[in-house]
Amino acid sequence: MNSLDPRVIRLPKIEQEDIISPKIPLDQFGTFEVFVEPKEGKPFQHEGIVHAPNLEMAYILAKEAFTRRFTCTSLYVVDTREVYVSPMTEGENNAYELIPDAKESLNEKTTFEIYHLIKRGKQHVHQGHVAASNPTEAMAIAKTIYNKGKTVFNIWAIQSDKIRFTTQEEKDLWVTLPEKKFRDASDYKGGSKLKAFLEKEK
Amino acid sequence: MYGGGNTFEGIKTDSIQQEDPKRLAEFESRIDRGEKIEPSDWMPALYRKQLIRMIEQHAHSEIIGALPEGTWITRAPGFKRKMALMAKVQDEVGHAQLLYSAAETLGKSREKMIDDLISGKSKYSNVFNYPTYTWADCCFISWLVDAGAIVNQLANAKGSYGPYCRALDRICAEESFHLKYGHHCVIHLASGTQIQKDMFQEALNRWWPPMMHFFGPSDKISIHTDVLMRWKVKMGTNDDMRNQFLDMYVPKIWELGFTIPDPKLGKNPETGRWEYTEPDWEEFKRVINGDGPCNKERLEVRRIAEERGRWVREALKSPQAVYVVPLA
Amino acid sequence: MSEIALKELLYKMADDQLIQGHRNSEWTGMGPLLEEDIAFSSMAQDTIGQSLALYNLLHQLGESDPDTIAFTRNSTQFHNCVLTELPNKEYDFSLIRHFMFDTAQAIRYEALTRSSYLPLSQLAIKIRGELRYHTLHANTWIKQLGSATDESIERLQKSLLYALPFALGIFEESPYEKEIIASGIFEGEQKIKEKWLTQIQKIISQTRLTFPDIDLIQPVIGGRTGKHSEHLQPLLDEMSEVFRIDPTTEW
Ligand SMILES: [Fe+2]
Ligand SMILES: [Fe+2]
Ligand SMILES: [Fe+2]
Repeated sequence: MNSLDPRVIRLPKIEQEDIISPKIPLDQFGTFEVFVEPKEGKPFQHEGIVHAPNLEMAYILAKEAFTRRFTCTSLYVVDTREVYVSPMTEGENNAYELIPDAKESLNEKTTFEIYHLIKRGKQHVHQGHVAASNPTEAMAIAKTIYNKGKTVFNIWAIQSDKIRFTTQEEKDLWVTLPEKKFRDASDYKGGSKLKAFLEKEK
Repeated sequence: MYGGGNTFEGIKTDSIQQEDPKRLAEFESRIDRGEKIEPSDWMPALYRKQLIRMIEQHAHSEIIGALPEGTWITRAPGFKRKMALMAKVQDEVGHAQLLYSAAETLGKSREKMIDDLISGKSKYSNVFNYPTYTWADCCFISWLVDAGAIVNQLANAKGSYGPYCRALDRICAEESFHLKYGHHCVIHLASGTQIQKDMFQEALNRWWPPMMHFFGPSDKISIHTDVLMRWKVKMGTNDDMRNQFLDMYVPKIWELGFTIPDPKLGKNPETGRWEYTEPDWEEFKRVINGDGPCNKERLEVRRIAEERGRWVREALKSPQAVYVVPLA
Repeated sequence: MSEIALKELLYKMADDQLIQGHRNSEWTGMGPLLEEDIAFSSMAQDTIGQSLALYNLLHQLGESDPDTIAFTRNSTQFHNCVLTELPNKEYDFSLIRHFMFDTAQAIRYEALTRSSYLPLSQLAIKIRGELRYHTLHANTWIKQLGSATDESIERLQKSLLYALPFALGIFEESPYEKEIIASGIFEGEQKIKEKWLTQIQKIISQTRLTFPDIDLIQPVIGGRTGKHSEHLQPLLDEMSEVFRIDPTTEW
């Protein structure tokens, strides 16, 4: 291609015909929800999504999509379809009120992570975990443990073993983040240069 | 990166009459209270449609906007500039990622949006249809086009749709680096050699008309969209945004000793508003409809990039995958 | 310890990383998936950042400042291996190169955490996490694409065979090899090459790719002594296009 851009000049020629062959559906893959721990000991918070072909790839892609800039200590991802969502409420209405009380089941239990939305417009924050045999039961149990204080507008429950967590040895993935000043506005103080320039121009 | 423009031109508001009046009233009072609308909330069809259109255009502008600056990554002078520009252009790709995700919560898949971009069905900011001849053009974009985008994005971050506002909060936090970096570059050109000064002056001469177009047609000729303002989809008129930009940045450009190529440009002390030569809206229309200096190249590069990546995506696609709307 | 030997080591590592990072940065805005575009760019930034750290060490040893070193030498003065300067081609080659190069990096820096030259061991310890991500990324992509469709396997296989002779050039020995080993600065190319081969083969064995008989492959060497392919000089010309307008001014 004729261009001012050397990278564009180097692009291979790909004929228009190629695009006519139908694209496979889901060319952009499914989505995975991304949660970040901003500081050691602070709860994980929902940050957004990545498109990825599978859980492991989602973890790898989420790492740079969501944690390349602000310091953080950990990250995890889960398939969007694994997130169980309560109804959304507003005003004074607590979403837990719409969850039927727990009927203790005798089925085998597994761990679910519980998340709250306590301010509409903000993100879901990790609350804790419960042992339950299914997501409905998990929310019902969460109601007995975590429903105190603030109004909760929305609850999420995610089965823990569906999550790709950061392993202990991967904890060093973020250690050089605070040193990457070239991505930070504070590294571009033009002030003194500008002042010297203005002085000279006078 | 996102400019106002023809996003909302000629919308039909008839569909509002078909909406359930009770739900519509609830929806509107939620917005009046300053609360956000979330994907699972009821919303009028028109609101959904216009938001998709706006967020999608914004996302396209980010990914296309990565090209005119991206070309300078391999040529940036010195380590500091090289690394900053890499991170800056990467952020723009990241903005596209965040914005496509926000639009997806409204029910249009990213795949469909990318198809519509490549086929020319969807628009993106006009400003990226102009070429970057020198390093100084790249600096102009980093500083001033991003400054314009920030004016828009800060306003839109106060809008009513939760996922879009959250994406914009993240984006604006990153933009502060872009703005500072861009200004830093231009200060260095201004206080450098004559060659550097001339380089930026020439870039300014080239980029000023597209920059004035950036915020979209004058309020005198663009169609008013009261309902979109009321629903906090559109957060200010084109002229308001333009005026805000001029107010913040013209003095900073002058301070560096550069001349803005518009003899009529000046702030009216009585109205407090900026006056300028009326931008050439015919050219604006021509370019947005495909006839700008770089429209063809930009779309062709995107198409080739998608095509070259196709085997990668096809290889990894799992047969079990299903499309689900992201949650928030 | 002779300073010449140390500088030779720093130069080849720094040049490797600058050129590799530069090549990888060409993908920014053109990657196969938005998320991967971002990830690949981050790693290119890491790699260039690491080269800058090494040029700074060289500067402390009396060499010119990093910008002058990086932006004003010509190709015969560069010590990078030829692998890093090859054009990006398609994503299969860029990924295979990333896999081979970053695996070597991870092993090299792991060895350098024990270097008797303190600034180098400190750097090696610091960037461990960055390299962990690079190899996690590379291994995952190679494992997945290397076992996916006929097309992806064929592409990766071809790129693997094409890249291998160049990749072996990473381990071209320095004229000061004995000295640098004896001084405890670095355990030497031969040792890390063996670890590299084991690691590369371990990952490849988890795919449907085949690894050729390594003894039959002739390494492409020369990069370490300034003998480069026809691709390096144009790359440097492009890289310094703006800088050279006036190397004495601040940009
Ligand atoms: Fe931008
Ligand atoms: Fe942006
Ligand atoms: Fe920006």
